[in-house]
Amino acid sequence: MSEQALPVEVFHHHDEDGTRLGFWLFLFTELLLFGAFFIVYAVYRNNYLPDFKIAAESLNKGIGTQNTIILLASSLTMVLSLNALKANQVKLAKTFLLFTMALGTAFLIIKGFEWNAKFAHHLFLQTSSAIAAGEGSLLLNPGPEMLPNGQVLFYGLYFVMTGTHALHIIVGGIWMGIVYYWIAKGSINPENTGVLERCGLYWHLVDLIWIFLFPLYYLVA
Amino acid sequence: MNTHKEIFNYRTPVIVFSALILLTLLTVATSSLALGETGSIMLAMFIASVKGSLVLIFFMHLNHEPLIFKLFVALAFVTLATLFVLTFADYAFRGVS
Repeated sequence: MSEQALPVEVFHHHDEDGTRLGFWLFLFTELLLFGAFFIVYAVYRNNYLPDFKIAAESLNKGIGTQNTIILLASSLTMVLSLNALKANQVKLAKTFLLFTMALGTAFLIIKGFEWNAKFAHHLFLQTSSAIAAGEGSLLLNPGPEMLPNGQVLFYGLYFVMTGTHALHIIVGGIWMGIVYYWIAKGSINPENTGVLERCGLYWHLVDLIWIFLFPLYYLVA
Repeated sequence: MNTHKEIFNYRTPVIVFSALILLTLLTVATSSLALGETGSIMLAMFIASVKGSLVLIFFMHLNHEPLIFKLFVALAFVTLATLFVLTFADYAFRGVS
């Protein structure tokens, strides 16, 4: 009876280390997802080396380098945002987060222009048999000439891998928007930085994947 | 109330960022060298690995994580490397009997 009279203490168990470890486990699955892509790339590059080199010529090294620098800069502003929040400089943290989002958007816009240029040359995710049958892609007119299998594979992998990567940039951008709102609301604050930290880990992993994508597509011609 | 004594640390990230930019320019510059097919891809992958390690250690704060985190991350990359090696062993010896 007297037990019921005791004040009920609400205890929210929160294990920050455990949460972070769980998040790392999720990042490992991302690593395996892209790892599988890299294996496919490596095997086909091995099998169709001359075609891969010819196809890679069409990718613009300058634009690729520019995008790499943009993404690295966004990683820097992400770290600075977290460090600012930890140092109790909330306004600065929000500014750096905005910069990160802007840089991510710039990356996507440049990528979009790049893809558009490829589409204009009738290069799209498509199979060589579809091209041979004159079907091409559903979105575009079929190309005027038939590409060799190796080049079709190169462009296919290019679109799938950079596309999956771009999808991750979009997800990261949306997540940052939510985090920004939570910082503004005060639920993410200098005492509680976990969500921003994990958002940052995700963003850096996306950057890490690009670090490997960049030389494999832009520097192998 | 501010119980944090931490000061805003921007030095380390800026130094790491500068190193990453330099390595990016280095990998672009060395890509046009005639190192042979294997040589140039190995060099590009080596530079990418160095860049990746910088990101993992400093940007993803592995340097501040407990040992168990470091071991887990290492294990993830060893798993990935194993997948690569096994796949290539398969390809290299396919058709050999």
